[in-house]
Amino acid sequence: MINILLVTCNKQTTDRFLNIFDKNIYELSVIVNEKFISDAINIEIPDIIIIDENSSGSKNLIRKVKEKCENTIIIFLISGNKVNKEVIKYANAFITSDMSEDVIMSTINVNIRMKNSLDMLSNSNKDLAESLYRLNALYSTSSQFAGTLDKSKLIQYMIEGMDKALSFSLTCTLSLCTDDEPVLILNSLYELSDELITALKLRTVLNYNSLFEQENIPLKIDEKKLKVVKHIKYPASRFTFTLFQYDNMLARISLGNNIFGCIEIFKETSFTHEDATCFQTIAQQVSLPLKSATLYQEIIEANIKLEKLERLKSEFISIVSHELRTPLTSIKNSLDILMSGRCGKITESSEKFLSMAMRNVQRLSGIINDLLDLSKIEAGKMDFNFAPTNINTVIDYVKSALSEVAKSKGLNIRTEASENLPDITADAQRLEQVLTNLVSNAIKFTPENKTIKISSRMISSKDIKINEYFKDSIKLADGDYVEVCVEDEGIGIAEKDLLHAFDKFAQIENSLSRKAGGTGLGLPIAKQLLEAHYGAIWCDSELNKGSKFYFVIPVVKKLVQINVAG
Amino acid sequence: MKKILIVDDEQDIVESLKFVLEAADFTCYCAYNGEDGLRLAKNIIPDLIILDVMMPKINGYKISRLLKYDSKYKNIPILMVTARTQEEDKLIGEETGADEYITKPFDLNEVVKKVEKYLK
Repeated sequence: MINILLVTCNKQTTDRFLNIFDKNIYELSVIVNEKFISDAINIEIPDIIIIDENSSGSKNLIRKVKEKCENTIIIFLISGNKVNKEVIKYANAFITSDMSEDVIMSTINVNIRMKNSLDMLSNSNKDLAESLYRLNALYSTSSQFAGTLDKSKLIQYMIEGMDKALSFSLTCTLSLCTDDEPVLILNSLYELSDELITALKLRTVLNYNSLFEQENIPLKIDEKKLKVVKHIKYPASRFTFTLFQYDNMLARISLGNNIFGCIEIFKETSFTHEDATCFQTIAQQVSLPLKSATLYQEIIEANIKLEKLERLKSEFISIVSHELRTPLTSIKNSLDILMSGRCGKITESSEKFLSMAMRNVQRLSGIINDLLDLSKIEAGKMDFNFAPTNINTVIDYVKSALSEVAKSKGLNIRTEASENLPDITADAQRLEQVLTNLVSNAIKFTPENKTIKISSRMISSKDIKINEYFKDSIKLADGDYVEVCVEDEGIGIAEKDLLHAFDKFAQIENSLSRKAGGTGLGLPIAKQLLEAHYGAIWCDSELNKGSKFYFVIPVVKKLVQINVAG
Repeated sequence: MKKILIVDDEQDIVESLKFVLEAADFTCYCAYNGEDGLRLAKNIIPDLIILDVMMPKINGYKISRLLKYDSKYKNIPILMVTARTQEEDKLIGEETGADEYITKPFDLNEVVKKVEKYLK
């Protein structure tokens, strides 16, 4: 039904139009006094207003009408051919009273068709604007999701996004992903009664359970203990209805096996298909960031744990070595005093056992020193005194320091040093430690009457031959190196044990190692010390034939870090 | 006879040091914590102090600094006994004024030799 409003004070005109529109099934209202126009258009906005120029026509009135009824067609009824210039811009058409009924009707029909087209256009525009707004809301929500790794914030952004994209009266978000316990987040336009909250809690738990196969519910939730967080937009008003009056949508927030919760949204009017799509999109979009946030949090927690463990380990070693050293000192002092003979003469057999005690005290203190060294290197707290060092001086020192021990075992230490080796930048004391360790090992594992050979030479990086087993883990920078080799004719190392030779506490040939004494820390310390010198260590060995331990140190210390894995 | 003050909370260590030092003709005074050690040092003004680092209340470094900054005592040689722990290493970076460091476990004969080096 087309509504037409006629504004005229002319009785004849009124009758004529009543007559016309009666036949054409239009609803015609007539206003005689222009004062009532506002009231009339407030009750119902007409599709067409026909204004008799003779009865009214003031510009202000027309402007007022146009403001209120934007899409209404305004037709002026004029007498004669003259058009008031002031109203011409508001007019859609003009008719004269002497026009025939057919002409008047066709004018009106053309305008109605035009109005319909315009209405359609304006509706499409409105839809477009709405879609655009939604897309914008989705876009800004996605950007917010990408910007945080905080799980509670992600849930908050999701709710805000839904608020923007879908106008809702109430949302219930069951969030499982907060760190302490599940939370029910209620976003509502109005205050909720306690009964309603109880109902919502129950409903949410039922919904949650219904989203999963009965036996696969990831987390049992007790609606009585469920924590509730409320966000109320207009706290002054209160919901007093049952939820069945509302349209609702429900979505599960999850990614694969990770369940983060579910969300239900309520609205007084029906949700559209677009609303549903939008709702699903947001619920899906939040899942991946939530998963990332969960993983991120796990990584951070694991890291904190690791750091704590690392610190505990260092502290433990430090405390233990201090606590071990003190009683060890007392034992050693007592042995010293007893062996000095100041407390009475020592028999041959008591001296044997005193020496045994003394030897083991020295062994224990060696272990403690090794432990301390290793924990210091690993904590990056080892200080090095780098200075130009001649490797042959180091070799001579170690040879003379250990020749006595070697001789007592019937072993011979032979050196084969290249003359005129260039100096290397190194901490001589630490190199002595490394070489002493290698030679002591050789002495330990070599049977009587054999020879231990220490050789040194200069070698270019491309000529260095590293055993296949170590090739992957050693990367040396190009340049010249000084290479030292300690060769023995001892028991050797089995192929399968080669790679573990430099592991901490590695006990190659367990029983033998123990028989020979040693902490299993000497080689890992040597490895770390050499790495600090930008060098490397490896070995060749054949079971029951002997071992060759090589280490290299660059002639010019390169600034490039050399990575030695392991 | 030269006077030596031994400060260590570990009585056994004090005992053994006292034994060998008295055998080498030194008079020994002993304290078993930092407070007593500092008091005794000021009272008897020893010719040399053997000082443990890790002690309850006042640690060895603190005593050493207190004495070395005091003109009355600053010429007394101090031999510092350390267990070479990380915690101690941190402290060692600071100025302590100790004349020599002895690492636990130490050799008693070495200690006697070091003491004699300062006192003869």
